[in-house]
Amino acid sequence: MNKYYWLIPILPLLGCLFNGLLGKRAGKSLTTFVALGVVLGSLLLALSAFFTMKGLPDHRLVLAYGEWMGTGSLSVPFGLVVDPLSGTMMLVVTGIGFLIHLYSVGYMHDEEGYARYFSFLNLFVFFMLTLVLGSTLVLMFVGWEGVGLCSYLLIGYAFDTELASAAGLKAFLANRVGDLGVVIGMMVLFAAFGTLTISDLLTQAGRLAPELGFGVLTFATLMLFMGATGKSAQLPLYLWLPDAMAGPTPVSALIHAATMVTSGIYMICRLAPVFSLTPITLSVVAWVGAATALFAATIGLLQRDIKKVLAYSTVSQLGYMFLGLGASGFAAGFFHVFTHAWFKALLFLGAGSVILGLHHEQDLFKMGGLKAKMPITFWTMLIATLAIIGFPGTSGFASKDEILFLAYLKNPALWLVGLVAACCTAFYMLRLFTLAFLGAPRDAHAHDHAHESPASMTVPLVLLAAGVLVSVVLGWPAAFGGEFHIGTWLAPSLAYGQAHGAQGAHGENGTHQLAWALASVSTLLALGFAAFGYYSYKDGLAVAEARAARFPVLHRILLNKYYVDEGVELYLLRPIRWFGNLLWKLFDVILIDGVGVNLPGALTRVIGDFMALFQTGRVRNYALSMALGAAALLYVFLK
Amino acid sequence: MFILFALITLVAALGMLLQKNVIVAGLCMVASFFGVAGLFVLLANPVAAALQIIVYSGAIMVLVLFVIMMLNSHEEEAAQSSRPVQRWLSLGLVLLFALGSLRLALGSAGLQALASKGGAAPAAMSLQAVGDALFSGHLLGFEVAGLMLLAAMVGAVALTKRNL
Amino acid sequence: MTGLDAILHGGLQGYLLVALLLFAIGLATVLLRRTLLLQFMGVELMLNAVNVTLLAFGRYRGGDAEAMVFYLFVIAVAACEAAIGLALVISLYRHRDTTDSDQAATLKQ
Repeated sequence: MNKYYWLIPILPLLGCLFNGLLGKRAGKSLTTFVALGVVLGSLLLALSAFFTMKGLPDHRLVLAYGEWMGTGSLSVPFGLVVDPLSGTMMLVVTGIGFLIHLYSVGYMHDEEGYARYFSFLNLFVFFMLTLVLGSTLVLMFVGWEGVGLCSYLLIGYAFDTELASAAGLKAFLANRVGDLGVVIGMMVLFAAFGTLTISDLLTQAGRLAPELGFGVLTFATLMLFMGATGKSAQLPLYLWLPDAMAGPTPVSALIHAATMVTSGIYMICRLAPVFSLTPITLSVVAWVGAATALFAATIGLLQRDIKKVLAYSTVSQLGYMFLGLGASGFAAGFFHVFTHAWFKALLFLGAGSVILGLHHEQDLFKMGGLKAKMPITFWTMLIATLAIIGFPGTSGFASKDEILFLAYLKNPALWLVGLVAACCTAFYMLRLFTLAFLGAPRDAHAHDHAHESPASMTVPLVLLAAGVLVSVVLGWPAAFGGEFHIGTWLAPSLAYGQAHGAQGAHGENGTHQLAWALASVSTLLALGFAAFGYYSYKDGLAVAEARAARFPVLHRILLNKYYVDEGVELYLLRPIRWFGNLLWKLFDVILIDGVGVNLPGALTRVIGDFMALFQTGRVRNYALSMALGAAALLYVFLK
Repeated sequence: MFILFALITLVAALGMLLQKNVIVAGLCMVASFFGVAGLFVLLANPVAAALQIIVYSGAIMVLVLFVIMMLNSHEEEAAQSSRPVQRWLSLGLVLLFALGSLRLALGSAGLQALASKGGAAPAAMSLQAVGDALFSGHLLGFEVAGLMLLAAMVGAVALTKRNL
Repeated sequence: MTGLDAILHGGLQGYLLVALLLFAIGLATVLLRRTLLLQFMGVELMLNAVNVTLLAFGRYRGGDAEAMVFYLFVIAVAACEAAIGLALVISLYRHRDTTDSDQAATLKQ
């Protein structure tokens, strides 16, 4: 079987090529068949590869395909690595990816460019798998750039609307800023270790004594983290993600919630042994994560667009993951990636179902009372909402409380920030849920025409909900009687080549009480805020409006997302534009156009006009000139 | 005899220069060529004289007259030449040339020496010597000349034929 | 034999003088006349003038065969020039309906 595993990423690429090149002629059913078939094939192969890897004693399946580039001391092989980390991520990508492909069949059914959409979606799966499975940082970077490209293409899917194309551009540019960091980080790592193969890199890093070589490594990891903030939408590069909701909803679910945006976390987990050598970077990661979690959660409190709420929620949850990583809880952070992928994909797809059911109405204030109209969507969304607010026993509870616990161990202030963010999360999620499904319908017309979505959309919802419920088993924390399987499972990847353990020892007797105490506090508070959210909105908007009137300044700031976009425009973009304008006027117009191009042109013209006086076009005149010249030569020679 | 042929040559040439009618000018040129042929005879070179008459007075002149007839273009030139500068500069140049050549012919000591040395041997030009020189020392030039004639022939056809 | 004698009685200088004057007349024809055909004939005159000098020198260098060889080459060139030149005149006449070289000044515009 091993010799077919290269097909895991290649199959979606083939699908992309087929749909991209022949999609228009192939017809819808063939397009659907190919697009879903390749991802399903990829998923089955991935499962096979996963269990093959699991059967190996060291849980590590290396597939090498020879040299890619070799110049001087640089040698980059082509290869895929399936280990617990990449294997799990690979299953998430192909599994959720497949469900979202399936869901898209229903969601995109009446849209223009059906084949183009599936072609991009397949391409995304290809690049994401390249990112996940690549055995070298270079191959990983190829995937990294590729998913950014797909994100751009899919956000700008409706490229004829200015909103979508601008949002796509914004995403691309924000990602470019981060990617610069990744490139620099890669180069520094190469300079430090002389290799870009991840396993060699980690082995060498493992040999370093913990207190050596920190200046360089700190710089490299900070640069890589800068890339992660771009891709995973952290402060200060988070701005693109809310705008990315201009793309189709399944894209928001797959790319901007479940997979691509977590690639920053994935990269840090991949390089966990390197990162754990640099406590400064880890602190930065933790604080940026915590700040983002709180910041985005507060913005999410008042958004009216259902997808915007979820987008800020995603940013906030990604912040949690970074908080976990920064607290050295790589397994916990990744576990949150895993659980979040399920429930956030479910939330987005549920939101998409609502949007489609209401004929492309995204305004929460115009929804309400959909519980009876859309039962499947309602129940699945309920599961996802409970998971994200950390209801005891759900997957969100397990992963979030693990992160908060680790954050407390690192610095109680981090825990406090995370706790406040969790409360905000509970509030806005219940607000969303109540506004959409409960209470009285606020827009009678929309409500009357609402309908449950077709089976191709509800089946993925149910499957994802099952995933949400099951995923908790993998990482139930030890403090609550579980075994935190995922920690032991991922350990070989996260501590690859390490002499000393990267995982902080937790779950010992002394800390169990602490874990219980922290979890009780956060859960009670979250449930309290959830109830607060529910009661604020269960009878319509009156209560909320009254509250908005009481705190007008705060309300306006939150509603306008802290005016960050405006600030960026005023203090960043405007000076850049001004400077660009200056360069244009000074260098382009005066120097290049004027002195460089027009001056020689004018000189040539003046000289030419003068010389043209001698160009009469008459043969006799030319003959005379020639004869005069010949006479002069004769005189010189015969003198 | 020399004076006679020289005068024929030069007067006919002048006639060609001054004649308004193209046909008469062409005939003047033929006369001038005949004069030159006579000079060749006096230079003890009857072969050159014959070639001169055959090629120039015969072939080329017929070609020229043929073209003149074909174009039917013996119209008078406009009286006023467009640029006086051209006229006066040309006249000056030609005059300078004539005076210079006169002075050169009369005053050069080298020429005088050459003239007195070879003046006594009026042996006719030997065709065999010419053939030897042409086909040994100048074979390449000979071949190139042949190629050039062929190219000129093709070119002339290509230029004048309306549609190939 | 002095220079003037030579000229009058057919010495080397006499031939050269005739050749040079012939050349000058040919040049004047090219420069002063506007009819392409006449200018063309002027060129022929100049070529002939060169022939005269060639053969005169050949004669006075003791019957040098090289002179005759170059005379032949000049004739070949003249023949080519006649063929191409006249073809050009015809071609111009077809397009412009003129043989006046001053009218063929398209390059100026």
